[in-house]
Amino acid sequence: MATIPESPVNDPMLDPITGENLVIAPGHTFKSVTEEVSRIVLTGHTPLGWYFGFALAGSIVIMLLTAISWLFLKGVGIWGLDIPVAWGFAIINFVWWIGIGHAGTLISAFLLLFKQQWRNSINRFAEAMTIFAVICAALFPLIHVGRPWLGYWLIPYPSTMNVWPNFRSPLLWDVFAVSTYGIISVVFWYIGMVPDMGTMRDRCKSKVGQYFYGLLSVGWRGSVRHWMRYESACLLLAGLATPLVLSVHSVISFDFAVAILPGWHTAIFPPYFVAGAIYSGFAMVITLAVPIRKWYHLEDLITLRHLDNMGKVMLATGLIIAYGYAMDVFMAWFSASRFEFFMIWNRMFGPIGWAYWVLITCNIVLPQLLWLRKFRTNPTLLFLISLVINTGMWFERFVIIVVSLTRDYLPSSWGTYKATRWDYMTLGGTLGLFTALFFLFVRFLPMIPMSELRVLLPQSKIRRKAEPLEAGD
Amino acid sequence: MAHGPYSNSLPDLKTPAFVNDWRRGALITAAIFAVASAVLAYLAASLQHDGFQHLLRSYLMGFVLCWSFALGGQALLMLQYLTGGKWGLVVRRPLEAMARTLPLVALLFLPIGFCMKRLYLWARISDPAAAFKAHLITHDEAHAIAWKRPMLGIGSVWIQTIICFAIWFTFLYFMDRWSVQRDADPEPHVHFWQTRFENISGFGLVIYSITMTVVAIDWVMSLDVTWYSSMYGFLFLVGQGYAAFALVIYTTLKLSKAEPLKTVLRVTEQHDLGKLAFAFVMLNIYIAYSQFLIIWSGNLPDEIPWYLDRIRGGWGVIATLDFVFHWLVPFTLLLSRDIKRNKRRLMLVCGIMIFARCWDTFWLIAPNFPDAARNLHLSFGLFEYVTVPITVGAIWMWYYFTQLQKRPIVQTNDPHFDEIMEAQHAHA
Repeated sequence: MATIPESPVNDPMLDPITGENLVIAPGHTFKSVTEEVSRIVLTGHTPLGWYFGFALAGSIVIMLLTAISWLFLKGVGIWGLDIPVAWGFAIINFVWWIGIGHAGTLISAFLLLFKQQWRNSINRFAEAMTIFAVICAALFPLIHVGRPWLGYWLIPYPSTMNVWPNFRSPLLWDVFAVSTYGIISVVFWYIGMVPDMGTMRDRCKSKVGQYFYGLLSVGWRGSVRHWMRYESACLLLAGLATPLVLSVHSVISFDFAVAILPGWHTAIFPPYFVAGAIYSGFAMVITLAVPIRKWYHLEDLITLRHLDNMGKVMLATGLIIAYGYAMDVFMAWFSASRFEFFMIWNRMFGPIGWAYWVLITCNIVLPQLLWLRKFRTNPTLLFLISLVINTGMWFERFVIIVVSLTRDYLPSSWGTYKATRWDYMTLGGTLGLFTALFFLFVRFLPMIPMSELRVLLPQSKIRRKAEPLEAGD
Repeated sequence: MAHGPYSNSLPDLKTPAFVNDWRRGALITAAIFAVASAVLAYLAASLQHDGFQHLLRSYLMGFVLCWSFALGGQALLMLQYLTGGKWGLVVRRPLEAMARTLPLVALLFLPIGFCMKRLYLWARISDPAAAFKAHLITHDEAHAIAWKRPMLGIGSVWIQTIICFAIWFTFLYFMDRWSVQRDADPEPHVHFWQTRFENISGFGLVIYSITMTVVAIDWVMSLDVTWYSSMYGFLFLVGQGYAAFALVIYTTLKLSKAEPLKTVLRVTEQHDLGKLAFAFVMLNIYIAYSQFLIIWSGNLPDEIPWYLDRIRGGWGVIATLDFVFHWLVPFTLLLSRDIKRNKRRLMLVCGIMIFARCWDTFWLIAPNFPDAARNLHLSFGLFEYVTVPITVGAIWMWYYFTQLQKRPIVQTNDPHFDEIMEAQHAHA
């Protein structure tokens, strides 16, 4: 047998048995956890950095409003859309943002059902991220329909015009999928926050704050009955939300896959889109978690274990999409179809071929560093990889949508695509909107679920022998 | 070797003696169904002039099922090492036993390898252009055979198969060896073993996905030489997980009638296993339905015939029942918490899932052949799809039970062992 090294037990942040990073730093009590999280919101002194960041994000939102106002005045002609590329940045951004939201649902619902307790520290802001991402995503179809004031026509209702949307179209399924997703995410997020709202209400010193948090806590008293109802509601919502992890991005993949365009019509799209969504979503969670834990000194609560686990999830989902890319290339050959073969050749070596190699580098090559534990547990490197992945995932959608449309079956109808400044302003603007909403969230709501974090403490575990409790319990 | 507070009060960890009866039962079943298969093959050849073609096709079905259990077992073994969790500990040894049947699966491949010309059009046609001119095949078939020759040739498929088996054997060798060494380790060395198994499993699952896809295309998808689907590998990947997981739950529950699993398998872990089975049921229908929806909506001439062959001419009944057995019944039953926590009922659901996988494999394989496509008819040959897979499956089961007896049924040198030996948690 090989020589077995001793387990690294000296580091207090490592589990002495498994050698893994702890989910929560040792030495915390119920009181210290509550204190650590609530102080961020209840402090009377808003950090200067917050004002600066919010002002910057707010300015970008103004840029978004400008771009949208001009769009409403002039129409979608200000974008780089043309025939054959009638779907451009708007759809790319829509798919990208919706994808980002998936990690929140996966963390809050899926991991809850699978009893993954490490999720407890990060689920609140991941869910917030989901909601803000859905808001950014939903903006694009609305402004793309040409007459946004008639956007409600997307919803089937018995009008006097007797006009119904096409129920066979995946674009209509999108309306149902995304709206369901948005509603469930908001409800789940809010219900999960109720016990913490009670804590905030009780700890808040100002009258306005007490009223605000009191209203949101809907009379939470922390009684056994309340907890039972709360736990049941969370489980039920998790059960409802879990299929959404699969269904929403699958429906979005159908927007492309049910068409017969080479590059769009491929059976593997649903799982490949879902994996891509989770991939980019976890990348965004890391993009947010790394600075948050640094700026608000939350290294004890969002530990290296969280980063390590999220790195592993990214690696796994990244490999699934790598499998998807490989199947795309392989089937282009195996199909024995010259259209499929040309599609992949054009993707790799056509006029916009560089975009394909950007996505391969960002989504496949560089993330392989995540095989190494030291990359997964180094916040700076992980942060950089998360940015790379988010860039790569945007390019993935660009390649699928734009490159496939530029050259289809008929060479006589081939074209090209060039995004305009309004396209870039709208994309950048949603990044500002997302960031601004997130700044508001971390300032006014507890970004880490205190109640769920307390469950992770050793004090809340059932012990075999009665042991003295620590102060603050 | 156990190191926790339960090390001194452990029940005997040997596999229960009744597994011997299972082995005997499997051999008797194999013998009876082998005779029945021979009789049916003779009747089909002499009375209905079907020759022995169904014998080989149904053998392929049986082989694919055994391969699914063995390789699916190995993949699930890797998955449980990667994800951790207590559920993995209770099913680890049965999964190891399933994985150790791979040598038998390799042997079972030989008849297929030596009879490729009888099964696969691409193996039968050496000159596609001449065959097209002689009106033996269509233009699309001729083009597909010529184009895919680098992958779909007898020599090429043999090489791919040998490479894939060699890779699976390598993983099997190391995982089995380390598992035995872990048992014998006088100290727990949790970090060391966990890291070791996690590393091989992470890499192993990547390799498994690739190799499994390659042979699924070679052995099954290429039965229809013109058809292709980028989802096919994924469909098999999930299908193997579905079948192997149902079988491992069934085995574990059956073994839990006696010690040591009677003590070790708590309702909490049983419930977790039920939930995971539910996840596989959902994942399976998701993959299968997505592929159907995309191909049906596209309605392209090079894709849609695959489904039409499996829906028209009587096959619609098989397809509908496939949906019912594969998803509707297990989904409906596994929604119930009570069923997931009741051994007898959960075993019933797992039995249905295994049956559903057999049904689905029949639906995937049989309509590929011109005489059966869009033409499901009652014949002696049709019954061979029942008797031959049972014969092959029973031989595989015999070997599986033999492997099951070779190791203690629970790995004690595991960080979850003490926890799993605690009394049932009230909140579980």
